[in-house]
Amino acid sequence: MKIIKIIPVILLSLAALQMNAQDNKVKIDTVSIQTSAKCNDCKERLEHDMAFEKGVKAVELDSETKILTIVYKNNKTTEEKLKIAITKIGYDADEMPADQKAHDRLPACCQKDAEPH
Amino acid sequence: MKKFIIMSCLVLWQFTQLYAQQVKGGVFEMVGGESSPLIGANVVQLNTLNGTTTDKEGHFNLKLEKKAPKKLVVSYVSYQSDTINLNDTGFGHVHVTLKNLKNLDEVEVVSRKASSHLSRTETRGITSINEGELQKAACCNLSESFETSASVDVSYADAVTGAKQIQLLGLAGLYTQMLTENMPNLRGLAMPYRLGYVPGSWMESIQVSKGTSSVINGYEAMAGQINIEYKKPDEGEKMLLNLYGNQMGKVEGNLNTRFELNERWSTMVLAHAEYNGTKHDDNDDTFLDDPLVQQVNFFNRWKYKGENLRLQFGFKYLTENRQGGQMNFDPGKNHDTENGYGIGVETDRYEGFLKMGYILKNKDHSSIGFQNQVVYHDVNSFYGLNVYDADQFSYYGNLMLQSYINDTRHQYTTGISFSLDNYTQQLNDTIWMRDEQVTGAFFQYTYSNFKNLNIITGLRLDYNNLYGWLFTPRLHAKYNINEHNVLRLSFGRGYRTANVIAENTSVLATSKNIRFLEDLDIESSWNFGLTYAAYIDIGAKELVLTADYFYTNFNNQVILDREEDPFIVYIYNLDGQSYSNSIQLEAQYEPIDRFELKLAFRYNDVKTTIGDELKEKPFVSKYIGLLSASYQTNLKKWQFDMNLQLNGDQRLPYTGFNPEIYRSPDRSPVYAILNAQVTKYFKRWDIYIGGENLTNYKQNNPVIQADQPFGEYFDSSMVWGPVSGIKVYAGIRFTINK
Repeated sequence: MKIIKIIPVILLSLAALQMNAQDNKVKIDTVSIQTSAKCNDCKERLEHDMAFEKGVKAVELDSETKILTIVYKNNKTTEEKLKIAITKIGYDADEMPADQKAHDRLPACCQKDAEPH
Repeated sequence: MKKFIIMSCLVLWQFTQLYAQQVKGGVFEMVGGESSPLIGANVVQLNTLNGTTTDKEGHFNLKLEKKAPKKLVVSYVSYQSDTINLNDTGFGHVHVTLKNLKNLDEVEVVSRKASSHLSRTETRGITSINEGELQKAACCNLSESFETSASVDVSYADAVTGAKQIQLLGLAGLYTQMLTENMPNLRGLAMPYRLGYVPGSWMESIQVSKGTSSVINGYEAMAGQINIEYKKPDEGEKMLLNLYGNQMGKVEGNLNTRFELNERWSTMVLAHAEYNGTKHDDNDDTFLDDPLVQQVNFFNRWKYKGENLRLQFGFKYLTENRQGGQMNFDPGKNHDTENGYGIGVETDRYEGFLKMGYILKNKDHSSIGFQNQVVYHDVNSFYGLNVYDADQFSYYGNLMLQSYINDTRHQYTTGISFSLDNYTQQLNDTIWMRDEQVTGAFFQYTYSNFKNLNIITGLRLDYNNLYGWLFTPRLHAKYNINEHNVLRLSFGRGYRTANVIAENTSVLATSKNIRFLEDLDIESSWNFGLTYAAYIDIGAKELVLTADYFYTNFNNQVILDREEDPFIVYIYNLDGQSYSNSIQLEAQYEPIDRFELKLAFRYNDVKTTIGDELKEKPFVSKYIGLLSASYQTNLKKWQFDMNLQLNGDQRLPYTGFNPEIYRSPDRSPVYAILNAQVTKYFKRWDIYIGGENLTNYKQNNPVIQADQPFGEYFDSSMVWGPVSGIKVYAGIRFTINK
């Protein structure tokens, strides 16, 4: 029975952690970056990996234009850092070319010379 | 092949090729279930400036540039653009339907696909449980995968072996055909413990369909069909490591790795090991609440993707040792009354399969498929003083051709199949041998008008060396009343050969003797189903309401009668009525972003003639309620899942002839089970913690005459609820995607 009592406490503290993070007053910026994403796989990869970059609050790739829109806290990260993060996942970020090693590790369908699909 | 059907249903129909490099077609939108032309839509060959616009009937005609990709980009203002691969559709007549984007400001509405959903496009009512849903119950195997599914019930078979069984439409799991990647599997001797043979992290998705199913996979599906798709060697994560442990001392490990050797060949290794070595007896009845289990499960599969040839083959090996019974039982000593009551089940299972698919070069939408599977299953077991040893060799082969008549509105699949089951079973001094061979042919015709009507009719004729000719007609129809309302109907027949001992091993864990009163016939039934689904837009989200009704009527059924005599279980053929009525209502909605809610209720009316009386089938809940809630934080860093299941009362087998202290009540009480899980996602790994049976609900005294397990009234099979209480578990998943 002890365990039953503990579970709500764990859940509450987890929720509290979340709220704390949101309460801090910082300036929120939005940036749109053209990427070399190809497909839905790329979209998932970019959105998942970028979500774990420091300062990122929201991230979404437009499937049509392959533009990645990132909402971030400007005291935690910068536009440049975000672009570098994208290149390290293996994609071009505006004028910055993809990190070649990371790019070559992507599945064939997600590499730059793949046909759009 | 399924993809073919879906693709063609969605976007195209085609006639014979007139000009190789010229493409004709039409662009349409759906208005109230009707196809209506889009005038002035743009049709452009991919990566070129070569394009045209549609005329006032929505038609277009375009000469293709030779060097550019054979793909068309079809677009229209405020409609979602589509790219059509002409190599898939042919060049004859391309039918494109564009989706209206309701709000132009929203560039794209990214909505999370509900992780369990009723397919809208399939003619058969198929509910798919995908990986997201499977991760909601991180433990352990197939039996936990249906927690959030309202259609499938999972219950313990008895109080001592830990075996779990499913029910569909209130009918025992053996009436549900199990497929692994569209081949019948986990049949025969695998039946009692089969839910434990498929590790959770091996599965990519599960498809559940109620009622009659397609004739392609044989005649066995009587109440429904469950297909398991394993993870693929050429898709998904490169490596997955999953470690799990619970407070009862059970630990599990899973390792999946895949390699793409080159563009055509890929391979995958899936490995699983579990160990439960801790004895528990929380209800102090001297019997273990959960059996001790050691299992190793290994699967290696290969895939070849050629231009026209697809090839898949693999090999699977499973070994399991299960020990239950009394706490003080020592399996090393003699299995006698001195040592206490013990249960031991040792299983070795080998599976091999080879699948080939060949896409015909000269005819689009036509392919040949050949499925082969070999299974050897060996079990050595004892239940108290009962000794049961058995082995099974099975082969399944299915050769099929898929094509169309005139155009893809009329598709068909036809083929021949052969299956062989060779059983040797020994229970104490009695030996049964069975050599069953079934040769069959089938024809399935699929009609689609590409607007609102789909029909699948199928016939199969089999010759069974034991039961003679078997004729199986089946029908499915789907009618879209309009964009928001879908009606489905199904009707068909099914057969099954019973394996009485293997399917009722829980009877071995009683003091009762099994007595066959006559030679058993093949079981047969008719099933009728009606499903209505409504998709209602509320705000930006869609409320999905489904209502279904299924009726199953048995012409013959093997009856297990334990209500005549306290010491004997009689086995005989049905003489009288046996049926199941099942009505289910379900609602699914996302009231807040990323918060999914599901509410379901099902009523079961299942009756069988036992003795000379039409009785409610024992161990079937009168009704089932399900509430499932799931929340994911923004950026998918946290996930919270909860589900609550309400189990209505069940009739329990008559025990009035036992002395009063060894009787069970006439009906079980109503009870609820609560499960919950929290998952935290990191970039490369996830951790999860969860609990099963959080209300700690337990059946008191699940074992009758537990104090004298060799007494004449001993019975561990009267189980209607959980035997073990709250289970808290935690685990970690480590993933490499690149």
